[in-house]
Amino acid sequence: MADIEVQDLGKTYVVPEREGGVKAALASLARRRTRQVRAVAGVSFAVEQGEVVGFLGPNGAGKTTTLKMLAGLLHPTSGTATVLGHTPWLRDRAYLGRMALVMGNRNQLQWDIPVLDSYRLYQAIFRIGPADFTRRLDELTELLELGDLLRKPVRNLSLGERMKCEIAGSLLHHPAVLFLDEPTIGLDVAMQRRIRSFVAEYNQRTGACVMLTSHYMADVQALCRRVVVIHRGRLLFDGALSALVERFAAHKVITVAFEEGTTVSDEELAALVGGTVTGRTATSVTVQVPRAQTPTAAGRLLATLAVVDLTIEDPPIEGVIEDVFASPAEEVEHERR
Amino acid sequence: MSAGDPLPVREHDRPGPPPARPAFGSFSPAALGLYYRRQFASALAANLAYRGAVAIWVVTSVIQPLVFIVVWRTVAGSGSTGGYSADQFVAYFLVMMVVDHLTFIWHMWEFEYRIRTGAFSPLLLRPVHPIHNDVCENVSYKLVGLVGILPAAVVLAVVFDADLSGTTPAAVLAFLPAVLLAMVLRFVVEWCVALSAFWLTKVSAMNMVFFSLFTFLGGQFAPLSVLPAWMQTVAAWTPFPWTLAFPVEVLLGRRTGGELLLGYGAQLVWVVVALLVLKLLWRRATRRYSAVGA
Amino acid sequence: MHSLRVLRAFLTVGVLNIVQYRSDFVIALANAGVSLVTQVLGLSVIFTNTADLRGWTADDLLVLIGIHFFISGLVGLVIRPSMEALMEGIRLGTFDFLLTKPADSQLLASSQVVAPQAATDVVVGAGVVAYAVSRTGLTLDASALALFLLTLAAGFTTVYCFLLLLSTMAFWFVKLDNILVIFQALFGNAGRWPVTIFPGWMRPVLTFVVPIAFAVTVPAQALTGQLTLRGALLSVAVAVGFLVASRAFWLVALRRYTGASA
Repeated sequence: MADIEVQDLGKTYVVPEREGGVKAALASLARRRTRQVRAVAGVSFAVEQGEVVGFLGPNGAGKTTTLKMLAGLLHPTSGTATVLGHTPWLRDRAYLGRMALVMGNRNQLQWDIPVLDSYRLYQAIFRIGPADFTRRLDELTELLELGDLLRKPVRNLSLGERMKCEIAGSLLHHPAVLFLDEPTIGLDVAMQRRIRSFVAEYNQRTGACVMLTSHYMADVQALCRRVVVIHRGRLLFDGALSALVERFAAHKVITVAFEEGTTVSDEELAALVGGTVTGRTATSVTVQVPRAQTPTAAGRLLATLAVVDLTIEDPPIEGVIEDVFASPAEEVEHERR
Repeated sequence: MSAGDPLPVREHDRPGPPPARPAFGSFSPAALGLYYRRQFASALAANLAYRGAVAIWVVTSVIQPLVFIVVWRTVAGSGSTGGYSADQFVAYFLVMMVVDHLTFIWHMWEFEYRIRTGAFSPLLLRPVHPIHNDVCENVSYKLVGLVGILPAAVVLAVVFDADLSGTTPAAVLAFLPAVLLAMVLRFVVEWCVALSAFWLTKVSAMNMVFFSLFTFLGGQFAPLSVLPAWMQTVAAWTPFPWTLAFPVEVLLGRRTGGELLLGYGAQLVWVVVALLVLKLLWRRATRRYSAVGA
Repeated sequence: MHSLRVLRAFLTVGVLNIVQYRSDFVIALANAGVSLVTQVLGLSVIFTNTADLRGWTADDLLVLIGIHFFISGLVGLVIRPSMEALMEGIRLGTFDFLLTKPADSQLLASSQVVAPQAATDVVVGAGVVAYAVSRTGLTLDASALALFLLTLAAGFTTVYCFLLLLSTMAFWFVKLDNILVIFQALFGNAGRWPVTIFPGWMRPVLTFVVPIAFAVTVPAQALTGQLTLRGALLSVAVAVGFLVASRAFWLVALRRYTGASA
């Protein structure tokens, strides 16, 4: 059985509607208008032991809501889910003791006391034996270089240091499932890289499965073979990251560098490759061609022009995702009570 | 990263039985005890760090008893009313101040904030009931606050000539279980009231109604014997007198023998009822949590 | 006058918010209702045990309660939310924005935030006063009413200045932003009772140092026929005294604040 199994999971919120103007305000005294917002609508997927899955989607897509349901914080309005054999929102202690949720913009450590004391509190909460605790703390301290941070109160740490400590703290009880909600948000590049490699290491060492949401494509590219794309509460794509690009990116990008002195206009180039020119620098030109025609286009370029260098690439993933998410207006149901 | 091959999973390849998991399903007093020690230490550290704010709260908790002392002394004049002379009123309200400090909780104000900002989430992720966290926060505050409340009570007693003749050593002994039960009872009852924040977005009106009821029926505004008969009857059907008025009366030596034992019994019964209500409400409450703020 | 225009502009914005936050109004009304019922109940309990409270009858006390609501509402409408914003502004550094505006900083700081739902307390207070006065059976001529309005204005001014003094301390004690709860406790408890019931040795403190009870008692006395000329003059003198003291304290704080960050 997969570690995480989700079937038709849905979450709908009832939100009061805001009126404007005096007349509407008076009318609403008599009748309360509410609106149903479908944050998550019938999502299904499964995650096996040891997998690291990236959860992608624009803001409000439903990814954080899904994670929170799997962590047991929210009750779904429809569907089922099983994580490690438990139904998360029943919140039985055995489940809570085996999973961890790290939220990038929320502190779970105690604010005013040294980090180590927070960790000792976690030891008590998660019933970690003294030998296990010492061993794991040493491991985490070494991997994340927590040394001098342990004695400082959380309020004295920088954002990056705080995040390191949060993540370390969430792994003290050796969760078998790790949910990471925007763990690298607001951190500098070096810290992002450190946290990424740490998560990968933890996954390799323990076989814990990891579900990660992030706005930084670098996180997803570095950690996740598989991505699940959610948009407007629905599953849009579930598969390998490379397959995502292939399916949703209809074209490839060719960057050509010409010999000194060669001039060729945009129109000529576009006509030659059967695509469009997307960029031009002092030394090179970038063109975009339909995927199927890439070999032909490359061949034509090499044959007709004095080419010094030629690169064929997939379009940047950010661009692909952005295009995927740029769709028509959201459907909203009005309900009158 | 190479495509295709699954990642090597080292720990699971190790020979031998998997590492033992703590048995969360069973209740372990030792584990809970350790949690309480560590959580309490953390809460105490926080309260000591913010002792300026604690001091201000303590000062405000002296003001209401002081005003009531003045009012009821004026009413009693040179005689007595409802079985209390002027000096006995003073004793009543200063003991009430101490008992109120020992029993009150503030979480019905905090829950609205916790729910609105999603601050409940970290507590809900733990395999420990959030109420234990609140107990530690609450008790550590009360401990730090006693440093101010007890001297204030002594000052009030001296300045206003309190009549504490009923406070014998026997009364003090009888007081201890009464106030402990009162602490538990009031905590559970008010934590249940705090849970209303899961259903109502703005709880201030409801809290005010609750406090209003409490002030009268708990004996904070005046000793119960001074209240009109209909109020006393209503109070008898609520847990309020057992959280405040009863322990106060015990310490003043006004409840002895059979009445005392009956009082303990009533407190115990109400504690059981309150715990049942808590269990019911909590289950419903977590369903409604919307976990905003992330 | 420029200051009056500023004041009116702020208050207009507040009034426009009334429709937007009607649920806040409903709640404020409910709170006021609960508070009123509680106090009336309290009075009834007291008056089953005694005929009068040192010369104050139940209706007299009701007048006082009404005035307390009224002043409480005025304070809660503009003064208190603005003071809370002031202290937060000092802590976060946004107070500087007030200093850059071409108007008196104290005026701006005191009127920067309006909580329109507090108007319910003002209305409830006025209603209670009117009702209670009709019950006392006293006929009030023009001079009595004038005296009442004068002492009411003095009372409100005193409460405002006291609150300002407390809030100005935030310039020195930045972390104590719950200092206003002291005001709430004092005003909400001591302010509901006539200052005359307090023992003789406490009365000077409650008149000159923490003049909150005094500020509410005197206008009530004006309406219940208990006001002496001496009392009226004293209340005006206290108001003027606090006005001067709070203004001086404000200027001292400003000098220190701008001096420090320059």
